[in-house]
Amino acid sequence: MAALEPQTWSRRGVLLGAGALAACGPAQRTAGKAGAAGGHVNVYTARHYDADKQIYALFKERTGIEVRALASNGDQLIERLRAEGEATEADLVVTVDAGVLWRLTEAGLLQGVTSPTLEAAAPARFHDPQGRWWAFSKRYRVIVYKKGAVDPAELASMDALTTPRFARQICARTSSNTYNLSMLAARIERDGRAKALAWARAVRGNFARDPQGSDTDQIKAVAAGECQAAIVNHYYFLRLKASGDAAERAIADEVGVVFPDQAGAGAHVNISGAGVSTYAKRKAAAVQLLEFFFTPEAQRAFQELNEEFPVRPDAELIPTLAEFGRFREEQVAFDALGRNQPEAAKVFEEAGWK
Amino acid sequence: MSTASYTPPRHPLPPPPPSRGRSRAAAKRRPVARESGGALAFVVAAAATLVCAAPGLAVIGMAIGAKGEMDATAWKLLGDALLGTITLIALGGAAATVIGAGAAFLVSLCRFPGRGVFEWLLAAPLAAPAYVLAFGYSSLTWAGGPVPLPLTGIAGAAFVYALAFYPYAYLSTRAALATQSAGALEAARMLGAGPRRALIGVALPLARPGIAAGAALIAMEIAADFGAASHFGATTVTTGLFRAWYAHGEPAVALRLASVLLIAAFGLLFVERWMRGRARIAGGTWRAPPKVKLSAPAGLAAAMFCGLIIALAFAAPLGWLARLAATRPASDFDELGRQLLNSFMLAGIGAAATLLVSIAIAAAARASQAGRAALFAASAGYAAPGAAIALGALALFGAAREMGLVGGLSAGLAVFMLVWTYASRFAAAGAQPIEAGLLRITPSHTGAARLLGAGRMRRILAIDLPMAAPSAAAAALIVFVEILKELPATLILRPFDFDTLAVIAYSYASDERLAQSAAPALMVTAAGLVPILLFTRRIDTARPGTRMGGR
Repeated sequence: MAALEPQTWSRRGVLLGAGALAACGPAQRTAGKAGAAGGHVNVYTARHYDADKQIYALFKERTGIEVRALASNGDQLIERLRAEGEATEADLVVTVDAGVLWRLTEAGLLQGVTSPTLEAAAPARFHDPQGRWWAFSKRYRVIVYKKGAVDPAELASMDALTTPRFARQICARTSSNTYNLSMLAARIERDGRAKALAWARAVRGNFARDPQGSDTDQIKAVAAGECQAAIVNHYYFLRLKASGDAAERAIADEVGVVFPDQAGAGAHVNISGAGVSTYAKRKAAAVQLLEFFFTPEAQRAFQELNEEFPVRPDAELIPTLAEFGRFREEQVAFDALGRNQPEAAKVFEEAGWK
Repeated sequence: MSTASYTPPRHPLPPPPPSRGRSRAAAKRRPVARESGGALAFVVAAAATLVCAAPGLAVIGMAIGAKGEMDATAWKLLGDALLGTITLIALGGAAATVIGAGAAFLVSLCRFPGRGVFEWLLAAPLAAPAYVLAFGYSSLTWAGGPVPLPLTGIAGAAFVYALAFYPYAYLSTRAALATQSAGALEAARMLGAGPRRALIGVALPLARPGIAAGAALIAMEIAADFGAASHFGATTVTTGLFRAWYAHGEPAVALRLASVLLIAAFGLLFVERWMRGRARIAGGTWRAPPKVKLSAPAGLAAAMFCGLIIALAFAAPLGWLARLAATRPASDFDELGRQLLNSFMLAGIGAAATLLVSIAIAAAARASQAGRAALFAASAGYAAPGAAIALGALALFGAAREMGLVGGLSAGLAVFMLVWTYASRFAAAGAQPIEAGLLRITPSHTGAARLLGAGRMRRILAIDLPMAAPSAAAAALIVFVEILKELPATLILRPFDFDTLAVIAYSYASDERLAQSAAPALMVTAAGLVPILLFTRRIDTARPGTRMGGR
């Protein structure tokens, strides 16, 4: 992608990295300030998607501001931000999963920002009341099933996975996966711990095999008939469906997708979001980039390149997403996902869900 | 303990009196009786230890200071995690050691069809990260793949570890066999020992330090691995650490698990020392050991054994990934060149810094008791997960920042921190083979040097280091490739807009875009192959008294 120019600093990195520890901090800080005038913004991101790189390139085209990104795991970025404190070079922090946004907020690493553009774009439920995080895209945890073996009506609800009908027919990934944790955290918020534990235990009792692999691996296992149903994020199915590899497209043809709990709580939804770092050195540019995530072109790029649903209610859906039809989504407050994640991990452990 | 078939004279000279730090000139005037450099060795050892051990110590310190109780779930997690790691070391580690040492014996001591090619090809899988093999094998054998095999959980992880990590045992055993005296084997034969007796009675004991060093490296690699274990759903101390950290949101439990790993690393090292015993190898000639020509069926079996290892550890999983990469558009490959450059730059700087520390530790370990303690302390970082060591380094950086010693984590400082973390993690990987090489320096070498009036430091520089050059080459190779493959510390400590091949391969794979991750994964493997092939040649050609590589 365009707009990435590491040569200048990488040479400096060699020199400084090899040598003087004391000298490089202040030198680089001055360079940072000079850079702000020249127009760049630093992003810590847990999203290493091509969609985001394209959006950064678009942002530079529109505003002249260059986006410099450091992509890593969300929880590790939290530790780096903590260690850096007020000296951090990060202006905007971008991440997937509501839990990480909550932990960032709890640690005081994000500052409240708002603007008419942001307020107009993101419904109240999709941002922190104090403006510390703003969600810009959505993903759903859905059920995939083996076509021919299962009638989708049998999977109208996540509770169906606990019934004897699906004994030894469920595939799942491990419980340490964030998407599983957030899903169970939402259930704890809705139904309480005891019911959530009973659900996890019953689903675990229906496992066809020990948890392993990724969401995509669960879809492949369903297609191969190793099990009849699995819980996955919706976009993994869409990726297989649009794959350049004919064998993968054939796998997608073998499975169907259900957005569960339409008569009840609604399908579990998780978010990608961003917030301005508490010690941002380029706050204005950070807010500008945050606003840019809600422009029609960015909201479209999240769909086209990453198969995520847009947060803007007025954003037009691309055909592949529109094909799912209209559906209800779970209404649990997103901060509950983060707050309940530690409890969810314990519940999974008690349920014997590896 | 010693099982060597003959015992070399331990002390041809009376032990020297304690060092008084005399100058070299003084030492020259009074040969034998005076030593110099003891204090210097101590300082070097202390400094190197501090560099290596500081992040690990920070982790242990944080674990002690962390709030949060260990409840029943946490204890259960700790128990499961320990059991998983021990099982994996017992299964995967043992298999890797047997495969690696067995292959090294075959190519070093036997003649069979294809031996010359296998000799260097067997080192190639060292370039493939364990997580790449795990992704390749899951894609090959799980649902949707062409070869249905039950490679899951502990069994799957053990299978991948055996294939990914056997080159450590292979290289260190080969280095031991290549540099040890061919005379011992010739003498055994002249005394009427058959090939089998020469192998079991002479070659095996002579190679034991090398095998033990390889086994220790393998065990530590297994203990620290995250990618493969988590992909196969195996609960280990490292995956448990991340589960506690990310899922439970309990840094206390996570840090305690990291401390367990660090302490376990000390245990492993202790076992390695104990296995090595008091074996000291004497012998001065540097010739390739005599090779036994295998009979046609035996030769064919040997060739098939080596071929099978390479097929399983390299050709099958990587070939499958190459097939996946071929489904991607050419635009995917645009940035790989720059990422390759970034990888080489980091690995180059990191390996140079790490090797310096490794040499300092290994030399100090030879020179003094404090040095041996330093080697021991420094080695713990190798078995700890990179992310834990990176956390420790971040904490130290945070403390330094609060004291006003440094500013933000600028590009230069980020690279510095990364290099430090690499040195902390991999100094042991470097120091182990160097020290094993130093062990082959005989008391008579030392005695002759002392008779000629060489002080301790001079002996280290003029005799020990040149003689350890083949081992140092192996060490440099291992560390360079380790850093190419390194993930967690590189992920969290690297500067803005700076992606390495390993980072990109892992990012795509963790986003379940395996086909997109295949190209950078293959590139990181290819990048590691170049130095591996270069250095494995030099292990063979290096001789004392010549520069490494013997030009």
